[in-house]
Amino acid sequence: MHAFRGVPTEMTVDFGKGESTVIYGENGTGKSTIADALEWYFRGEIELLSHEGRQHAVRHVGGDGEGATSVEVLTSGALGGKVLFPDERTPDTFEALRRETFLLRGRTLADFINKSKTEKWKALVEILGLDEIESLREDLQRVRNDLRKASKTAEEEVRVYRRALSSGGDTVSEETVLTNLRQICELLGVEPPQSLNQVAEPSWITSAVGASASVSSSSGRENLAAEIGALKAPDFSKSVFDGWNALVVSDRARQLPRASLVREAKRLFETEAIEAGRCPVCGQKVDQKALARKIESALAEVMEASRDLERFRDPILEQADGLESAYDLRDAIYERVLALDLDIPSVPTRSDTRIHDQVSALAPVDVNAITAFLSEVRRWDKSAAKLAKQISAPEPSERDNQLMMLAALCQQIRAWQQAETKNARAKRAVTLAERVFDAYQQKQKDDLGELLEQISGRVAKFYSALHPGEDLDAVSIEPWTAKGIELAIDFYGSRQRPPHGVLSESHLNSLAIAVFLAMAASFNERLGFLILDDVINSFDVEHRGRLAELLADGFSDWQLIVLTHDQQFFEHLSRRAPSWRKIEFTSWSHASGPRTTKYETSGTLAAARERLDSGDVQGAATKARRALEELLQEVCEALWAPLPFRRGQANDRREIGELFIGLRRTLKERAKVQLQSIEPIFKHLEADVGATLNVAAHASRGRSGASEVKAALERIETLDALWSCPDCRTRVWHKGTPEAARCRCGKSAFPPVAVG
Amino acid sequence: MHRPSAQEFLLTLLDTLDELPPDLARRFAELLKTEHVDRPAAIRQLFEDIAGD
Repeated sequence: MHAFRGVPTEMTVDFGKGESTVIYGENGTGKSTIADALEWYFRGEIELLSHEGRQHAVRHVGGDGEGATSVEVLTSGALGGKVLFPDERTPDTFEALRRETFLLRGRTLADFINKSKTEKWKALVEILGLDEIESLREDLQRVRNDLRKASKTAEEEVRVYRRALSSGGDTVSEETVLTNLRQICELLGVEPPQSLNQVAEPSWITSAVGASASVSSSSGRENLAAEIGALKAPDFSKSVFDGWNALVVSDRARQLPRASLVREAKRLFETEAIEAGRCPVCGQKVDQKALARKIESALAEVMEASRDLERFRDPILEQADGLESAYDLRDAIYERVLALDLDIPSVPTRSDTRIHDQVSALAPVDVNAITAFLSEVRRWDKSAAKLAKQISAPEPSERDNQLMMLAALCQQIRAWQQAETKNARAKRAVTLAERVFDAYQQKQKDDLGELLEQISGRVAKFYSALHPGEDLDAVSIEPWTAKGIELAIDFYGSRQRPPHGVLSESHLNSLAIAVFLAMAASFNERLGFLILDDVINSFDVEHRGRLAELLADGFSDWQLIVLTHDQQFFEHLSRRAPSWRKIEFTSWSHASGPRTTKYETSGTLAAARERLDSGDVQGAATKARRALEELLQEVCEALWAPLPFRRGQANDRREIGELFIGLRRTLKERAKVQLQSIEPIFKHLEADVGATLNVAAHASRGRSGASEVKAALERIETLDALWSCPDCRTRVWHKGTPEAARCRCGKSAFPPVAVG
Repeated sequence: MHRPSAQEFLLTLLDTLDELPPDLARRFAELLKTEHVDRPAAIRQLFEDIAGD
């Protein structure tokens, strides 16, 4: 950890190679920083700091700003790495670990068991990775509900038609409908249908009715009146006729009868079928070129006259046809009116036949006759229109009504059949959707049931280990409603779900620990370690012991990191699990961060040397002073130096001068000769502490030179080397008691043999 | 612990159900492979299509 939470500069925690570790420290000594670091690394956030305005506290607050905030984790697998603050990792980074359980803290211990049954369900769904499966279940449920609604609507529609077709009943059969239909057809003299499928064709009613009786008189009158109302005088353009008449009497038109003669002359001339130089008609000699010109000229005149003629011929013939149609239409009406025994004048005599004759003969047309005919037609139309108004529409006949009813019935039958088809299809869709959804939900329930059974078995086992012989039994996690789970327990013969009403706080906490351990044991795949941070606050001595036994014996395959401020629990766990690593936090200071019982003299000296080599003289001085403190504290503790009693963390904050006094007193009593040889170093170091290593003084008096710091550092290294065996590199108090200590290999001892 | 995907879960289930429309599992598999803006609408359409076949 670097500049992280309670660590201002750097701290390394050695968890060994998969061994479990118990970490002891009083409140405020910085042990939870370890849990924070692992939580931040593996979750991407620290839950306590996830609320607004707390994120900045990931970085050591008010630290010396030395370097970036980072946490580096070394693992035996692939999950290790280094994370810098601010954390740039995306949520995808944690996707695989999101479902793993590894951290239980005292302050959030009961979070899970205090959740509502729905919240527990959601938490479990997330841990089990069922969220995607649950999402599909919700979609299937929505589809089923939508299809049910659609089916209900289709059913209602069918019911409406059934009622209509069965005169109020809810049921109707095709046979009944067909029978009724046939009866109506027979009454009307209409060919009855063979099946309802035939009726489903809209063309059936048209053809069936059309093939039966003729249209009734009422329909005839209406149609006749409508037809009279729609009468319109034929188109007439006098200018076209005037143009035609002017043309046919002109000189140019007189050329037209010669047209065939001139064309024939041209053909003969071009095919050289006539004797050269002679007229093809009279045989007299002619100038051939003059003849050709004459033929061309005559042909041009004829063609021009012909084009003029065509320009008028077609419009005149069109108008002649219009007049003819107008006459025919009126004549037909006239006949129908007479058939209805009504009076109407005769239709004016038609004049169009003369037009065709005149046009064929290229003769003028009598325009006056046409205009007179049109005047008479208009008059006739007015008389007809008056008659049409007189034709009052009588009430529809019974047959008309019956025909209309038949048409309506056929339409209803078609709509009913369509509704039945739609309804049947909707029902099939609902049945299928219900079947898939029900089976899906059941499988989800069964699978979850199996999982809960598996977890419940573990929860019960762990809970029993914590509370053996109590009349609290059959602890389990049970499904409760479709989307809920709840903890349950047998309490003196009654099932309690949830168990909060009958369990004490410590029992509930035991249950929470049991659930946590069971979840991890059941679902963890990638993380093989668990962190329990101050989880035994509400436990008495006996239950602390049981938890220690459970962790030591039941989780020997796991790497556990247990943090506690409870001395008894620490000692109990240390005895129960002698192979576990132990770390004791002794104090924490804002400037130095957490301190443990493990002295870091060598490491701090190396750091000072490193800074000096890199030109950071000030940093080297700071580290050198820290190394000297560490060394003096280590020696004083190892040699039982007589120092005034101080309670708690104050021991870690003794002045260097005080440590020198204690060490001198010990050496004076037990190694006087050695003291004499060391005394010059002591004096130099005391001077260094007041000047070269006096970091506070540097700010006002100027900084120490590199050579001065280097000399001080060498003196500290010399003093440090006095307490280590040159052969095995262990301290001279590695074994034995301070009265008769020795190194690991036994070649170096304290008090020094030579001295003694 | 094996955590099946929703598709795997459903298709395993459909395998165990008798007398389902023959194409249902295949069509469901295709549907779930596609990312739908409105998956419920697509599932509903599938059921309706099969009911109309």
